[in-house]
Amino acid sequence: MQFHLNEEQSLLQESLRRFLDNEYGFEYRQSIRRTSPQGLRQNWRVFAENGWLAVALPESVGGFGGSIVETLIIAHEFGRVLVIEPYIGCAVLGAQTLLASGDKGKIETFLPEVAQGRLRIALAYDEPGLRGLPGPAEMKAKSTVNGYLLNGKKLLVIGAVDADKFIVSTRLEDSGRTGLFLVDADTPDLERIDLPLHDGTVAQELVFKDVHISQTAMIGNPDIGLQILRSGYNQGVLAICASMIGAMERAIEITSEYLRTRQQFGQPISSFQVLQHRMADMATEMELARSMLFSAMAAVSSGNTAHADQSVSFAKSLIGRSAKFVCGQAIQLHGGIGMTEEYVIGHYFKYAMVANALLGSSSRHDEACAAQLEHQCLEDCLDQEQVR
Amino acid sequence: MHFEVDPKLDAFRKEVRDFLQANLPSDLIGIPRVGRSPPYAQSRWQKILHAHGWGAPYWSKEHGGNGWTVQQQLIFDEECVAAGAPTQDVFAHKLLGPVLNEFGNEEQKKEHIGPILRGERQWCQGFSEPGAGSDLASLRTKAERVGSHYIVNGQKIWTSTAHHADWIFLLVRTEQAVKKQAGISFLLVDMKTAGVTVRPIVSIDDCHHLNEVFFDNVKVPVENLIGTEGDGWKITKFLLNNEHASTAHLPTIKLYVNKLIALAKKLHAPNGLLCNQTDFMLSMVRIQAEVQAIEFMVQRVALLEQAHDPQAHVLGSMLKIKATELQQRITELLFDALGDYGPVRYPSPDQGLHPDINLPMQGLARGLVNEMFFRRASTIYGGTNEIQRGIIARLLFHF
Repeated sequence: MQFHLNEEQSLLQESLRRFLDNEYGFEYRQSIRRTSPQGLRQNWRVFAENGWLAVALPESVGGFGGSIVETLIIAHEFGRVLVIEPYIGCAVLGAQTLLASGDKGKIETFLPEVAQGRLRIALAYDEPGLRGLPGPAEMKAKSTVNGYLLNGKKLLVIGAVDADKFIVSTRLEDSGRTGLFLVDADTPDLERIDLPLHDGTVAQELVFKDVHISQTAMIGNPDIGLQILRSGYNQGVLAICASMIGAMERAIEITSEYLRTRQQFGQPISSFQVLQHRMADMATEMELARSMLFSAMAAVSSGNTAHADQSVSFAKSLIGRSAKFVCGQAIQLHGGIGMTEEYVIGHYFKYAMVANALLGSSSRHDEACAAQLEHQCLEDCLDQEQVR
Repeated sequence: MHFEVDPKLDAFRKEVRDFLQANLPSDLIGIPRVGRSPPYAQSRWQKILHAHGWGAPYWSKEHGGNGWTVQQQLIFDEECVAAGAPTQDVFAHKLLGPVLNEFGNEEQKKEHIGPILRGERQWCQGFSEPGAGSDLASLRTKAERVGSHYIVNGQKIWTSTAHHADWIFLLVRTEQAVKKQAGISFLLVDMKTAGVTVRPIVSIDDCHHLNEVFFDNVKVPVENLIGTEGDGWKITKFLLNNEHASTAHLPTIKLYVNKLIALAKKLHAPNGLLCNQTDFMLSMVRIQAEVQAIEFMVQRVALLEQAHDPQAHVLGSMLKIKATELQQRITELLFDALGDYGPVRYPSPDQGLHPDINLPMQGLARGLVNEMFFRRASTIYGGTNEIQRGIIARLLFHF
């Protein structure tokens, strides 16, 4: 195990930071946010030209054969400056789910396009009863003579506004298994409702009313549909976690600068112990969050799926809470200026609140883990009784 | 960055496990620890380790240790705790030992290293004083040079295991310097010397680990000075910065978690067992998540320490804060889990096992709540968590 970046990984990080420092200042972010809340096509092209959309894809589809580590380096740097473009929505969740499906034909057809930035795939898995965590879908897929009829709703699809295709999770009506379909965004009768989010981005709710799709739209084996979904989703969750850590890092930097310059009672407020300790707590919280992320990355890399799923939930829960604390305190330490829409720091808090809620909130993940642990405990009790 | 586990570490873990299975005597397993195992158990276990060539798990090869990496040391600790082995004398192994190896002269090493390795000499640490806690450098215990001796006068407090220790390493003032850090020296004192008095302090966990130690014209040979006069502060900084990764007491945290899960499966609650209680289980998983995060924080600190990277200090202080606060939360949840038996004051682990005392639930509950009370000390000892925050603010933000 090694936690520092190797040479190639450092180069990737440096190239990202150089671009973002030079081209993606706060004013610029706010200006594109107003004109194009889903980000700019030209930026997406820059991401593609730099290989950032391709690093974690296999070489066979024009990627660089990187791993989750490279994905998270990018997400982390994007988080630092609150990038608007839907990297996680369109380059991680969708792409990694398609990759996990093992569907060779579709992978070879579409992932090279994703790597080149010419195609965006978003993941539509969330439903009213799921509250952000993948599970058996209620959305029905009824087989017809030449395909399927989809009926149901998908909530809070990030990156959907600019997506060309959606991966949609369904319950196959005949077998009850989880069918994943690759659906064109402009499919007739598919209603897409824009949902502006507090972090300045736009998600969509998708409403399927007798939407007809072809037989060939299915990806992967529905026997393991839920596992495929969870595998792609896990990558997205860790990316959003890395992004929250990037946001915490930058919020702490901005706040420490502010404390050094802001004068009250005739001295810089950084000289006050109560504020020093608060900053220490914020930094400590961030490093605990980073350690949590490393542990979840290790779990996902280990190939033990139960351990991976649990660790990813642990990470989303703990890091979400950390980000809310750190970014909330960043406002507090700024005082009144922290409340203004015009100033940067409040946007880190908005980002933290939204990121915590996306892909299942802290409390949602806690509930899922608690239910799992209860189940395990009861099973152990049963086993013991049987031994007796 | 990569997350493959080094197969050598897995092999090492197996080696430690096999060794413990073969060499840890059954009558030494699971002896109640009051912070540390009783002296006889520590001593016997130390002899066994030494005979196997593992007498100094934390020292480098050149100093007669095993030359294990920090990660190997952590594995060793974890396996020992999991197997229920007695503690080693941490004062000798983790604090004084490295100081002797770094600053001691040949005679001093010859005098003390052997007895430590053979389990014949146990140590305690004389740092804090009634007027010198967080502000350690304001200590007043005085050592005056008279001929070939120092005459020591003063008082130390919060001295863990002083009532069992054979020797004490002391910070004393040898000079009234302008800068208070400048006049401090590092002295080794035989506890049997005339004028040394130990008085017990019973702590809120119903146990006796702490003491006051009084020095009344205690004659200490000048050969017992480590380094030169005035080196005390430098040596102390070395000693305190020596190891950060193990301050989390991760193996103990894991024992607490296992205990909680055992209680959850066993204790009754409305409509079933404790593990059916949503609120309790939510607390459990939040703790599990944090334990997992801390486990990796320990690994990060260990790798930084191994590389002698100064960042180990900042991350070490953060780890200390997070791990000790977690110890408190977990043990409070243990109290909570016991329900109606939480408030019951069972005989203290200090009192050994009395066959005639037989309170209900004793087997499951005894000792747990003592841990909860004891853990209030975690955020105070080893540099209070407030001192740690000050260190972080200074090293990280240069405030």
